[in-house]
This record gives sequence, C-alpha cells and structure tokens, in this order.
Amino acid sequence: MSLASGPTKAVGAQSNLNLRVERHVDYIKKLDSRRDELEYWLTEHLRLNGVYWGLTALHLLGRPETLPREETINFVLSCQRENGGFGAAPGHDAHMLYTVSAVQILVMLDAVDELEKRGLGGKEKVGNFIAQLQDKETGAFMGDEWGERDTRFLYGAFNALSLLGLLDTVDVPKAVSYVQSCENLDGGYGIQPGAESHAGQVFTCVGALTIAGRLDLVNRDRLGGWLSERQVDNGGLNGRPEKLPDACYSWWVGASLAMIDRLHWIDGGKLAAFILRCQDPEAGGIGDRPGSMVDVFHTHFAIAGLSLLKFDGVQEVDPVYCLPRTITMKCLSR
Amino acid sequence: MAAHGIPRYTRLGERTEEARQQELLKIEKYQKLDQSVRDSIAEHQYTPETLQKITELLTSNPEYYTVWNYRRQVLRSEFSRAASADSDEAIAGQIATLIKNDLLFLIPLLRSFPKCYWIWNYRTWLLDEAKRLLPVSMARKFWQEELALVGKMLSLDSRNFHGWGYRLFVVETLRALKSEEQGEKGITWTEFEYAKKMIGANLSNFSAWHYRTKLIQRLLTENSASDEERRKMLDDELDLIHRALCDPYDQSLWFYHQNLMCTFDPSVAGQTLAPNLSDSERLDYLRQEIEEIQDMLDGAEDCKYIYQALIDCTVLSWKVEGREPSGEPKTKVLGWLSELKKLDPLRQQRWLDFEQSLCR
Repeated sequence: MSLASGPTKAVGAQSNLNLRVERHVDYIKKLDSRRDELEYWLTEHLRLNGVYWGLTALHLLGRPETLPREETINFVLSCQRENGGFGAAPGHDAHMLYTVSAVQILVMLDAVDELEKRGLGGKEKVGNFIAQLQDKETGAFMGDEWGERDTRFLYGAFNALSLLGLLDTVDVPKAVSYVQSCENLDGGYGIQPGAESHAGQVFTCVGALTIAGRLDLVNRDRLGGWLSERQVDNGGLNGRPEKLPDACYSWWVGASLAMIDRLHWIDGGKLAAFILRCQDPEAGGIGDRPGSMVDVFHTHFAIAGLSLLKFDGVQEVDPVYCLPRTITMKCLSR
Repeated sequence: MAAHGIPRYTRLGERTEEARQQELLKIEKYQKLDQSVRDSIAEHQYTPETLQKITELLTSNPEYYTVWNYRRQVLRSEFSRAASADSDEAIAGQIATLIKNDLLFLIPLLRSFPKCYWIWNYRTWLLDEAKRLLPVSMARKFWQEELALVGKMLSLDSRNFHGWGYRLFVVETLRALKSEEQGEKGITWTEFEYAKKMIGANLSNFSAWHYRTKLIQRLLTENSASDEERRKMLDDELDLIHRALCDPYDQSLWFYHQNLMCTFDPSVAGQTLAPNLSDSERLDYLRQEIEEIQDMLDGAEDCKYIYQALIDCTVLSWKVEGREPSGEPKTKVLGWLSELKKLDPLRQQRWLDFEQSLCR
C-alpha cells in the first residue's frame, strides 16, 4: 500500500494539511463499538447506509480488509425482508435507500452470490422489489410501498439494478423522460418536475442518465457552468446558489462534473484543502465544515471527493456508482 | 449520523462512570419502548395505547422511518373503524378528527427537525388520506390550511428545500381539488404574489426566483396569453431584473437573468415565457441587453458576473445569426474574457476551455 503512515500531500500548493488516514480508519472501525452511547441506537435507521459509507471509505483509503467480511455479509443479509428489499437494520421495513446500500456492499465484498446461497430468492428477488417500485405511468420510482417519489430513488434503482445485471427489468426510456422533465433552464435538475435545481439531485439525474447511456441529453456546458459556480471562495462547494459550502457536496458536485468531463472547471487544489480542514485531526472523521461535528456520511463523501481529485494515496472512485473503480470495472464487465 | 453545522466539541477524557450508567439507563428505556412497539404491531394491536407508544418513540427519534409506517397502519385501522359509524356525516367527522389530531402532533416535530424527510413524507400521506377518504370540500380545507403552514415554515427558513418542494406539491393538489368559485387562475395568481413577496423580502432568494419563473409560464398558459401579452411580460421581467441588479454581485439575480436570456436562444426558447419571438426580435433584445449590462460595469469593474453575462449575450447573438465569431464583437469577447480570467481564478480552466473554443 502506498500510503501506510507517511504524510500525504495535498494536490495544489495551498495546503500543508495531511489526510489523517490512520485516524479515519480508526474512527470508522470504532463506529460499531459505541453501543453504550444513546446516539448509536438513535441512528439505527441509517445502519446499512452507514456500513456502505464506512466500507467504501475504507476501500478508498486502501484498507478494504478492515471490517470483518463474513460478519458484514451476515449483517446485510439479516436486514432483508420477505419482499426481497432491505431495511436499515434487522426488523426495519424494506426501502429503496437501504436496498441500494445492501447491493453496493455485496458487490464491494464480491458476495452477490450469497443472495443465491443464503438470501431470499436470489438477486432476482431483490431486483423484483426495486422494479415494482417504478410508477408505470411516469417512469419515476417510489422509495417504498407508501409512495414517496424522488429522483434519488430513480438513480438508486438504476445503480443497484445495473450492478445486478437486471436493468432490463424496468422501463428505462420512461424513467429517462421523467429525469428530463426535472431539468431546469439553468441546466440543473430538481427533486421533481418544477423543483429548483439542487446539486444532490443533479448527481442522481446525471448518474441515472449515464447508466442509461443517455448523457447526450445533458447540456454539458450549461450544467458545467452551474456546477462550477458551486465553488465558493474558501474552496468548498455548496449545493445551491448563495448557500454555505459543505464537504459532502465535494461528491455531489464533483462527481457530476466528472461524469460530464468538466471536473477541471473548479479549483481542485482549493477544494482538497477545504476538505482537509473539515477533518477532526485528533479523533478522526470528517464533518460538513471546518470545526463541525464529524460523522461517517461526511467522512465517506469527503474522501470520495478527494478521490475524484486524484488525491495522493486515495484509491480511484467510480463517479457514477460511488464505489471503488476496480470493483465496478470488474462487476460491470461480467 | 449525518450532522450538519453542529460545532465539534472535545470530550474531556472518558465519561464518568455515573454518566455512563445514566446513558445506559436511557438506552435501556429506549430499547424497551422500541421492543414494545414492535411487539404490538406484530400482534396487530392497532389500539390507542399502541398509538401513544408510537408517539413517544417518534418524539424521541423522528428519523425512525419504520415506526412512521407503523403509525400509518394504526391510523388506517382507526379509519376503517370510523367507517362503521351511523351516517356518512359521522364517518367523515370522525376521520377528519383523527387526521386533524395527527397533523397537530407533527407540528412541534417539524419545528425541531425541519429537514427530516420522514416527517414530511408522513404528513403528505396523511393529507392524501384526507383527499382519499373525505368529501372534497372537507379535504380542501385541510390542504388550504397546509398552504398557510408551509408559508409559516418558509418565513422561518426561506431557502428550505423541503419547504419549497412541499409548497409545490400542496399547490398541485389544491389545483386538483379546486372549487367552482376559485378556479385554477386564482391559485396561480396568489402564488405569483407570494413569490413576489418572498423576493421582496430577500432578493438573494433564488428559490423564490425559480418559483417565479415557473409561475409566470403557468399564468401565461392559463390566460391563453397572446404573443403580444407574452412580450409585455418579458419586458416587465427584464425591467425588474435590471432594477434588482443594482447589486450586481448577487449570484441568484444573475441566474434569473440567465433564465430570461433563454427566451432568445432558439434551441430552448420553446420552454420559456415568450417562445415565438422572431430572430430579428431576439437580436434586438440581445443588443439592448448588452448595452444595459455594459452600463452596469460603471463602478463595478471587478464584478465577474457582468463580464460573464456580456459574453453569454454576445455568443447567443452569434447563435441566432448563425455566424462564426469574428471582427469587433470577437475582440470584445476576448477582452471581457481576459477580465474574467483575472477575476475568477477558481474557474480558470472553464474560461481557458472557452477561449480555446473561440480561437479554434
């Protein structure tokens, strides 16, 4: 491994801060040992997402073996429900958000076949749970049987189904026209038709279009302009005009720019320096802004952002799937 | 787990044993409540006691989405119990009371957790149930009150993403539930006034400008506006944005300006408020626009947005004319571009890419 313990240098010249790899690995490793803290139990509804965030961050930091593989697979499978979908934790209801995390984790651990061996009805059953959440009229996807619609779910469905090789089980053209109906004159996309452009939603829509092979529908220069304007003077990125920067937008904005080949339109060195300032240099983990409380969500997306910037010592991330590139290349070439 | 903007504190050493014990007690209490709710639902005990326990659990953890689903199950069961009342009127009355009480329960939660997706989802579901189960006039009343509530939320946090999305959704539903007296036009017009008020309160509120873009188009369509009326609206909007741009450093205003400029772009004009302008009209507008923006430079020579807009308008006029960049306009663009490169170092590569495309 190239980064073992030596100091890592930021790209660009502005920063003399290091990426605290060891601290972050420790921070993630210890997340599951905090069962004597109330917060651990109050965040159970994010557990499966949390495993995905932590595991991906560890992969990108070059420490894929840190979490015990068998235990992780067992936990994922214990979250599956009779309908094939996954909940956030054992006994929690199935929902698109956790089902996508489950698929991503299994892909990362090269364990999709465990669905066949030990899961309920193999990968087809999981695919079926996702596919039946598509609204046949509009092409949009719901999060669960209660019917909330959001472009996040459409992207999630495309992400998981394509990783499972089951994208042909849904109406892709209809979903694509739904995404188009969320486009605004500024080139960005909103959470639903008519809604204001938002960098998170831009990521999901551009990601879905990339998976569908329809990037030709994106106005790259217009959208690239809007996205590059997300960078503010301190180097960080915000999600909408006139909002505060946040380390997680390093991912939503950065990955969108990467997908449309415009990542060089922002100052990568300054962004990397901003991300590094969001670290807790002592206890590990990364927060939304310098001096903020850290959490595994921001830790993961900030590290993924550094990866987009080809930061020294961080493994390459796939901007479409937010998984290590080596893994998606292997999975999608099957 | 996903904290936003919460200051980091350092825990000074380990918790005292006493503090640890206290936290363990809290955990035990929470888990007991959680288990008891799950047991009741597994046994299909859709009773007021179960609802009470669910309320307690959600109050301590509103992100617990599965428990919101449990709450839906209990409410559905109460709705069907109400359906066995004597008269239609009594049925509607009982269901309305159930919905009303539940909507009230959500208010303090929304106030404390305005960014929690699950509370908003649940609220939407409740209101949809009102639409599904109640006579239109009663349902409409719920949705109308909702519009007032979302107005209050947005006055507290005028950029709240959920708030604006929710407003859109409430208005859509009110349109579907419209009464004879108050047609569609009414609500689009009052929403237009609302967006105006929000812009007036804070010119930087891009959410409100975005809403305005959408409402104008809707208003014009609803009124079957002629091309002449559409032009009039366009002129008024240009006038408004020029006046607002006396502060040219505000990004939100320039994005609204960019929206308006799309009217002159043949490839997207179809999605704008004045789709049928002729090419020569478009060129006239663009020429006026360039003059207007050039005047803004006076005293704001360091404002990058002005150069950006000048370049955009000039490039657009080439597109309308269908000609390649050349001569004096090209020299001007290159001049503005060199200012831009100085003023906007963060996006240096973007401007270099553009320069290259010009000089190809």
